[in-house]
Amino acid sequence: MIILETQDLKFSYPDGTKAIKGVDIKLEKGKKIAFVGQNGSGKSTLFLLLNGTLKPSGGRILFDGEELQYDSKSLKKIRQKIGIIFQNSDDQIFAPTVYQDIAFGPSNLGHSKEKVKAKVNEMLEYFGIEDLKGRPPHHLSGGQKKRVAIAGVVAMEPQVVILDEPLANLDPVGADELMDVLNELNHMGTTLIISTHDVDLAYRWADYVFFLVKGEIIGEGKPVDVFRDTELLQKAHLRLPITFDIYREIERRNLAHSGRNPKTVPDLVNALKPPDLMWVEVPPETQVGEVLNLGVLYGEYALDSPYEAVNGKVLHIHSNGKAIVELTRHGFKAGGIIIYDMDRFDPESLKHFVLDGGIDVIGAMGKRSKTLAEQHCIAVNISSGVIDRAILMALCGKRCMILTNGGMIPHSLNRINEYINRSGIAISVSIANPQ
Amino acid sequence: MTKMLDDYALMSPLRYTNNWLKIGLVLFGILMGVSSGSPAVPFLIALCMGTATVVISKMPLKQYLKILSGPASFVILSVIVIAFFFGGGQELFGFNVLSYHLGVNVEGLEMAFLVFSRTLGGMTCLFFLALTTPMVELFAVLKKSKLPDSFIEISMMMYRYIFVFLEVALSIKYAQTVRLGYKDLRTSLNSLAMLASTLFLRSWEQGEKIFISMNARCYDGKMAFYEETRPLRAPETILALFYVVVVVFVWYITNGTGWMR
Repeated sequence: MIILETQDLKFSYPDGTKAIKGVDIKLEKGKKIAFVGQNGSGKSTLFLLLNGTLKPSGGRILFDGEELQYDSKSLKKIRQKIGIIFQNSDDQIFAPTVYQDIAFGPSNLGHSKEKVKAKVNEMLEYFGIEDLKGRPPHHLSGGQKKRVAIAGVVAMEPQVVILDEPLANLDPVGADELMDVLNELNHMGTTLIISTHDVDLAYRWADYVFFLVKGEIIGEGKPVDVFRDTELLQKAHLRLPITFDIYREIERRNLAHSGRNPKTVPDLVNALKPPDLMWVEVPPETQVGEVLNLGVLYGEYALDSPYEAVNGKVLHIHSNGKAIVELTRHGFKAGGIIIYDMDRFDPESLKHFVLDGGIDVIGAMGKRSKTLAEQHCIAVNISSGVIDRAILMALCGKRCMILTNGGMIPHSLNRINEYINRSGIAISVSIANPQ
Repeated sequence: MTKMLDDYALMSPLRYTNNWLKIGLVLFGILMGVSSGSPAVPFLIALCMGTATVVISKMPLKQYLKILSGPASFVILSVIVIAFFFGGGQELFGFNVLSYHLGVNVEGLEMAFLVFSRTLGGMTCLFFLALTTPMVELFAVLKKSKLPDSFIEISMMMYRYIFVFLEVALSIKYAQTVRLGYKDLRTSLNSLAMLASTLFLRSWEQGEKIFISMNARCYDGKMAFYEETRPLRAPETILALFYVVVVVFVWYITNGTGWMR
């Protein structure tokens, strides 16, 4: 059932800035919904539109199938049903004590004094903040303030609760506690909408995700679907969720079952694959524990790179001359990393390097390089964690080019050489256009 | 962050006693102290109020003395002046400064004592109130005393945001200090001006944000008050009555009869 819907919603600020440029969303009742986007992508503006604080300059908003009206009576009704919790709790908690702040909402609904009292006490108990009730807000920690702010909104019994960056300024434990509170609220039937730029949170927690970039929805869907779309993530200036990133890398090394979507560490562990075992015929004098050179595999037997040198450690020898071996594969063609100095950028020479060098992957590091690449329509595959990813790609036999400039060049060289020294795996590193 | 008077009051065990009782006692103490002609009554009041603040209300003695020492230093200075330049009668001691005679006489000393005791009594009374009754409790008192609602609402919000802006001001000041914003008078003035203007803009923005957030919770122009009732309990009432009786008794036997005579 759709509880909240917008149709071609538009909003511009009085100075003419278009903050929301035609947003169509349908939010299902009882779901956990996350809006993901950079700072300044219009998340907060959209939220203020949804509860009627801002009036759209175009399009309409439907709550429970009814269009939002902007007279004060209808607004009061809609604001009771859609609670909003702001990023900064100090903007929200204005009463001198916690008790009075939580009582503010219910008393505005015109309840009797006794009913308000009962409601506030219920909230204090529900959120575990009874011992804070007489305290002034400046005696509370960030996490406590957030709880009070949420309690003040939930006391009005809203059907939808909107939270703008709920985990901002919270320590990890406080954040976990808050997520528990939110999950419980959702369990009781409240539809939750949060905004965040934390992809891990959105991937792990949400039922449905919207990507908001510069006031437009550029993608939506279930987290497992949208977060695997690297192109979409790049457009939204986001990175892969960390569990998914780790999973992809171990899957690529054939250490994990493919086609899983691990959201948590246990999921990730579950996706791990047993060691790569194989029956092979062995010479009769072979002993258990010996390492055999099984030669070079290619084609469909080589899993990670075009050619693989495969060794097998003998685990068990069968009587008929066969043995179980655990395979270790070494990519034959280790890839390479080429660093291109964007301070001496020349579109022709870069094109030449990319084509002749057989470059598979291009990464850009630093704002200047990214902008230059964008201006010259160079398809950048990696834009965050560039060095680590380039190393990972090179390990899989890919050839990577890193576009960067200035002091980041020696820095990347150092990082890559460090890795080579530590791992003993030879990756060829060079600068494409040295001084 | 350093603790403010209000912080001590919030943690005081006397916070939850009846506010009117506390205010009554303080008013009573001040009136008795001022109307007494003998220093004995104000001294007694100061002793009782000081003890109540430190022992019952659990104010750390060191901090209490520190707070008292602020106004006390002014009082001591003025008392010395009074002792030397006022009154007549028998001279107790004196000396010459460059052919000008300075001396302390009986009446002057008596007056100095009286002034000292009265100020001390008044100060301890006021500090008792300040250290046991936080602002958040006083709002209920303001409400009961029929002050206009908008006045109380504004003061409630002011109270709340004083602390928010105090924090902002402090962090701006730190940010300026670490970049040598207060290295000499010129830069200090400049930095202070920037701090003040930023703070003004911030409070303006904050006001708008609060209005939005209040509207989001269906604000309709009225804030309801939900003060906790603080019932009078027997022990504290009896203690207060006992104190009143003792002070009145001492006032009665010492009044009009000079303490020194």
